[in-house]
Amino acid sequence: MYPEKFLSIGVLCFLLGSVVSLLPLQRIRTYSFILSATGALNFIVFGLFLSFGLPLTLPPFPISSVFELLFSGDGISGFFVIIISLVAFSVSLFSIGYTREMKHRGLMGFFFNGFILSMYAVVTSGNIITFLISWETMSLVSYFLVTLDRSEESAKAGLVYAVMTHIGTAFIIAAFLVLYRYTGHMDFAGIKASSMQLPPGIRSAVFLLFLAGFGTKAGIIPLHTWLPRAHPAAPSNISSLMSGVMIKTGIYGMVRMHMDLLGQGPEWWGIVLIVIGAISSILGVLYALMEHDIKRLLAYHSVENIGIILLGMGASMMFMSHGLYSLAAIALTAGLYHTLNHAVFKGLLFLGAGSVMHGTHTKNMEDMGGLIKPMPYTGFFFLVGSVSICALPPFNGFVSEWLTFQSLLLGFESPSVISKIISPLGGAALALTGALAASCFVKAFGISFLGMPRSHHAENVKESSPSMLVGMAFLALLCLLFGLFPGMVIGVISPAVFSLTGVPGMSPGTTVVSISETASSLSPAGILIAIGVMAVATVAFLFSVGGRGKTRYGDSWDCGMPSLTPRMQYTATAFTKPIRMIFKRIYLPKRELNVSYLLKPFFVKSITYSGEITPFFERYLYEPATRVIHGIAGKVRLLQSGSLHLYLGYILVTLIVLLIFGS
Amino acid sequence: MKNWIQAFSVIDFISVGILLTAVAMNAVKRLESCVKIYTLNSWLLSSLIAIVALMVGEPHLYTASAATLLGKGILIPMFLKRVVRQMRVTHDVEPYINNALSLAVSGILVAVVYASLRQGIFVSGFSKNVLQISIAVILIGLFVMITRRKAITQVIGLLFMENGLFLAGFSLTYGMPIIIELGVLFDMLMGVIILGIFAVQIKRAFASSNLDNLTILKG
Amino acid sequence: MEYLQFLIILFFSPLIQGMIKTTKARMQGRVGPGVFQPYYDLIRLMKKEMVISHVTSWIFKATPYIVFTSTLAAAMITPVLTTKASFGIMGDVIALIYILATGRFFMALAGLDAGTSFGGEGSSREMAVAILVEPMMMLSIFTAAISVGSTNIARIAEAQGMVYSPSHLLALSAFVVAIIAETGRIPVDNPDTHLELTMIHEGMLLEYSGRYLALMEWAHYMKQMLLFTLGVDIFFPVGIPGDTAFAGLGVSFALYFLKMCCMAVLMAAIESTRAKLRFFQLPSLLGGAFVLAFLSLLTYIMMGR
Repeated sequence: MYPEKFLSIGVLCFLLGSVVSLLPLQRIRTYSFILSATGALNFIVFGLFLSFGLPLTLPPFPISSVFELLFSGDGISGFFVIIISLVAFSVSLFSIGYTREMKHRGLMGFFFNGFILSMYAVVTSGNIITFLISWETMSLVSYFLVTLDRSEESAKAGLVYAVMTHIGTAFIIAAFLVLYRYTGHMDFAGIKASSMQLPPGIRSAVFLLFLAGFGTKAGIIPLHTWLPRAHPAAPSNISSLMSGVMIKTGIYGMVRMHMDLLGQGPEWWGIVLIVIGAISSILGVLYALMEHDIKRLLAYHSVENIGIILLGMGASMMFMSHGLYSLAAIALTAGLYHTLNHAVFKGLLFLGAGSVMHGTHTKNMEDMGGLIKPMPYTGFFFLVGSVSICALPPFNGFVSEWLTFQSLLLGFESPSVISKIISPLGGAALALTGALAASCFVKAFGISFLGMPRSHHAENVKESSPSMLVGMAFLALLCLLFGLFPGMVIGVISPAVFSLTGVPGMSPGTTVVSISETASSLSPAGILIAIGVMAVATVAFLFSVGGRGKTRYGDSWDCGMPSLTPRMQYTATAFTKPIRMIFKRIYLPKRELNVSYLLKPFFVKSITYSGEITPFFERYLYEPATRVIHGIAGKVRLLQSGSLHLYLGYILVTLIVLLIFGS
Repeated sequence: MKNWIQAFSVIDFISVGILLTAVAMNAVKRLESCVKIYTLNSWLLSSLIAIVALMVGEPHLYTASAATLLGKGILIPMFLKRVVRQMRVTHDVEPYINNALSLAVSGILVAVVYASLRQGIFVSGFSKNVLQISIAVILIGLFVMITRRKAITQVIGLLFMENGLFLAGFSLTYGMPIIIELGVLFDMLMGVIILGIFAVQIKRAFASSNLDNLTILKG
Repeated sequence: MEYLQFLIILFFSPLIQGMIKTTKARMQGRVGPGVFQPYYDLIRLMKKEMVISHVTSWIFKATPYIVFTSTLAAAMITPVLTTKASFGIMGDVIALIYILATGRFFMALAGLDAGTSFGGEGSSREMAVAILVEPMMMLSIFTAAISVGSTNIARIAEAQGMVYSPSHLLALSAFVVAIIAETGRIPVDNPDTHLELTMIHEGMLLEYSGRYLALMEWAHYMKQMLLFTLGVDIFFPVGIPGDTAFAGLGVSFALYFLKMCCMAVLMAAIESTRAKLRFFQLPSLLGGAFVLAFLSLLTYIMMGR
C-alpha cells in the first residue's frame, strides 16, 4: 500500500467536491460534502502512514525559474494531518444537514473544500514558498467563508480578521527573509541543517518574529482580537473548522519553526512561552465567562486552550535548553495531546452550538433554556463536549491536562531558580483556568439547556437532522475514546516527539499512562470502571434499604408563591456576577442603573440595568494604535492630492534621483 | 540542648515566623492588630538572637537579645498603643492598594529576593536563609510605608525595616559591638516617641491623620 | 483485603460528621444530637418518598449517582491504613482533585436544572468558591509533591521524614483553609442553614429529597472525611505502614482514628470561634491562603526542605 495513493485519492476527492459544489444542479450539491468526507478519510490513512515513520517527499514542482513547490511530510505533519482529517470528516457530515436551507450553498461547498485542502498544504509544505502560498490561500479562503452571509457585522468581522492575519503573515515573512539571508536555503531540511550556525541574537530575533506571526493565527493574548469577532460571524460548521483546526496551524508553525528548524535555544524561550500561555489561558477564560453569545464564549475558550498548549510546549523547550530530553518529551507529548483533544472537543462544541442556533434561530444564551427536552441528542453531545473541555474524567481533556500538570511539576527538576518558581506557578494558573472553565461551561450548558425556556425562541424547537447528529456523535465518541485509550494517542504522537527531542517519549500501556520519573500514573478507564461498579452496587444497596420507593412529580420549590415564571430563573449574567465582582480589577466593568419612579421613592415604575465590559487591551492597546495609524494615514493622504501636475512632478523627481544615484 | 535545637530546626521555624509576620502586616486593617503583629515580630527576633547565642556561645548576644526584647518588644509597642488610643482611630482607611493585592505583591517581593540572592553570597548555611529573609522583611516594610495612608502604619513600616536591617547585620556578623547596638536602639526609641507625638499633633491640627492632607504643605 | 480500605471512608464518614456536630454543640453550651445521628438521618431519608420537579431533566436524576460514585472512586485512590494497596495505578492526587471536580460540576448543573433562583444562586457561588480554592489547593499539594518527587499519594505517604519543616507547616495551614472552603464550613459557608442568602452547598441540594438527598448528603460527608484523610496522608503520614501485617494495620487504624478525631475537633473549634464571612470577603481570605501556599513553595526552594 503506497501512501501516495491515498494522498492522491484524497486530493482528488476535495477538488471534485469543490467543483461539484459550483454546479447549478441542486441535488448534486449534497455530494460535495460527501466527497469531502471521503477525502478526509483518505487523508486519515495518509496521516497514519506519515506518523508511523514513513517520511515522504514529493518531487519538487517548479513554478518559475527561481521558486519551486515542495511538499514533504514527516511525523509532525502526519499528526497534524490526522487532526485536520478527523475534524473535517465530522464537519462534512454535519454540513450535509446544516447547509440544506442555506443561501450561497454552492459557494460554501467550494470554499469549504478549498479551505481544507489549503490547510493540508500548510502542514505538508517543505519549503518557504510552498508554506507561504498555502498560508495565504488558507487565510484568503477563510476570509471569504467568514463573510459568506454578506451581512454588515460579518463584513466588519472579516475586515478585522483580514488585517490581523496579514499582520501576522508579515511577521512570518520577515522571519523567513532573515532565515533565508543567513542560511541561503529555501527548503526546510536545508534550513534545519544549517540553523545551528546562526548567531544567537539572530536566532532569538527569528524566534520572536515567528512567535508574533504564528501567535496571531493561534490567538495568544494580546494578538487574539480577531478570534471573538471572526468565529461567531462565520457559519457554524466553518467556525468549527476554524477554531478546531485552523488555529492549530499556528501551533504547527510554532512546533515546526521553533523546535524543528531552530532547534535548541536558551532557557528564556521556554519561560516566555510558559508565561504567555498562562496569561492567555487565564484572560481567555475570564472573558469567556462574561459572554452570553454562545459562539463568542467558545471562541474565547479557544484562546484559553491555546494557552494550555503553550504551557506544555514552553515547558518542553525549557527542558530541552537544559538538556533534559526525556522530560522534554513528556512535556511535548502533553502539548500535542492537548492540541488533538482541543480540536476534537472544540469542533464538537461549535457543531453543537450550530445545531442549537439552527433550531432556535438565536445565539443569545439569555433567550434559551430547557432545550434538553426537545433536543436531547444535541444536549447530550454538548454535555460530552463541555465535560471534556473542563478536563473531567474519564474524557480526553483530563488526560492532556494531567500530562501538562505533570510536566510543569517536573519543571522543578531544572537547575535554574526562575523555572523552579515559574513552573509550579504555571501549575497553579492551570488549576485556576480549569476551575474557571468549569464555571463557564456550567453556565453555558445549564442556562441554555436546563431549566425553563426563557423566551419564545426556545419554545417549539425541533431536534436537528440526522446528519448533523451523526457528525457530532463521531466527535463525541472520539472524546471518550481518546480519554479511555490514551496509549493509542501517545503511540501516534511518539514519532513526532522522537523527531523533535531525540527521545522516544513515553511508552504507556493502552489504558494507563504512567510517568516513571515521578511514579505517578493515571488510568481513566480504571476510574470509569470503578464508577460503573460502584453505581451498580449503590442501586442495589438503595433498593435493599428503602424498597422500591415512590416518586411523585410536582413543581419546583417556590417558597409558597403561586407561580414561578421562567423570568425568575437565574440568567447567564447573574450566574457570573460573583466572578465579575471578584476579578473587577481585570474586567473594569461599567454599569449603569436607571430607576424611574411613579411616586418617588415608593413605587418603582421601571429599572434599566446595563453593563458593559471592554477588554482592556482593546481600550489601551488597539484603539490608540488604530488612532495613530489613522492619523498617519491621514497625513500620507496629502500625497495623493489628485492633481495631475503633482503626479508628473513626482515622476520627474524620481527620475532625477535615480540618475544621480545610478551614476 | 544544642542538638535538640538543631534537630528540630527551631531557627528555621523562627525565621519563617519573622517573614510571616512581615507579610501578614499587609493583611490587617485595624491599627491595634498592626501593633500586635509588630510586637510578635520583635519577640520572635529576640528569641532568634537568644537561640543563636545558645548555639554559638557568645555572652554579649544575650544582652542584645534582652535589649531587643525590652526596647522593641515591650517599650515601643506600649508607646504605640498609647498613641493609637489617643488618636481614637481604629481602622486604617482603604490603602492605595487593597489588601489582597498588596499580599500578592509582597509574595512576589519575597520571590524576587530569593531568586536574585541565590548565588554570590559568601555566607552559607543558616545565615544565608536568614539574610534572604531579612532583606525580604526590609522590602516589605518599605512597601508597607508606600501603600498605607495613616501616619501610624508608616511608623510601623519603618520599624519593620529597622528589624530587617538589624537581622541582616546580625546574620552577617553575629551582632555588632554592644555599644553600637545600644545606641541604635536608643535612637529608635527616641525616633518613635517623636513620631508618635507628631502623629497626635497632626491629628489635632488637621482633624485627621490621613497623610494625604500633608500634601497641602507645599512651598 | 487491603483493596477494601476505602470502605472505611464510606462507613465512618457519618460518624465524623456526627462528631463535629456534637463537639460544636458542646462548645456552644448545648447537648447536641448524638454522634450517630447522621446514620439515622440517612436511613430515614432512604425510606422516604421522593418529590421531583417536572421541570428537571435526566441530569437531575443522574447527579446523585455521579456524585456518590465519583467520591467513592476518589476514596479508592487514597491510602487510608496502608500504602501497599490502594488503587494508585488509577490516579494520583491531581486525579483525585479532578474527580471531586466532576462531582461538583454535576451538582452545579443539577442546581440549575430545576429552574429556581436558589439553585442558580448555590451553583454560581459554589463555582466561584471553587475558582478561588483550586489554585491554592494545587499549590500547597505541589509543594509536598515536589519535596517527595511524585504526585502518587502512596509515595508521598511513604516519605515520612518530611513532616517537620517550615514549608510543610505553611502548606498545611493553606490546606486546612482549603478543606474549610471545600467542605462548606464556617467561615466560608454555613452547613446548618437553609436561609437563601447564606447557602452555597445547601442551595444546590434544595430540590432533592428521599433517596437522592441521602446519596448527596452521604457523598458530602465522604468528601469531608476524604479531604481529612488526604491532609493526614500528605502532611502527617506518621504511622502508616507499607505492608499489611496485622499488627501494623491495628496500630495504623488506632492512629488514623485519633487523627480524624483531632481534625474533627479542630473543625468544630474553628466553626465555633469564627463568624461566617460575607461572600465578597472570601477572596481576601482565600487569596491570603494562596499567598501562604506560595510562601511555602518559596521557603522550600530556599531552604531545600
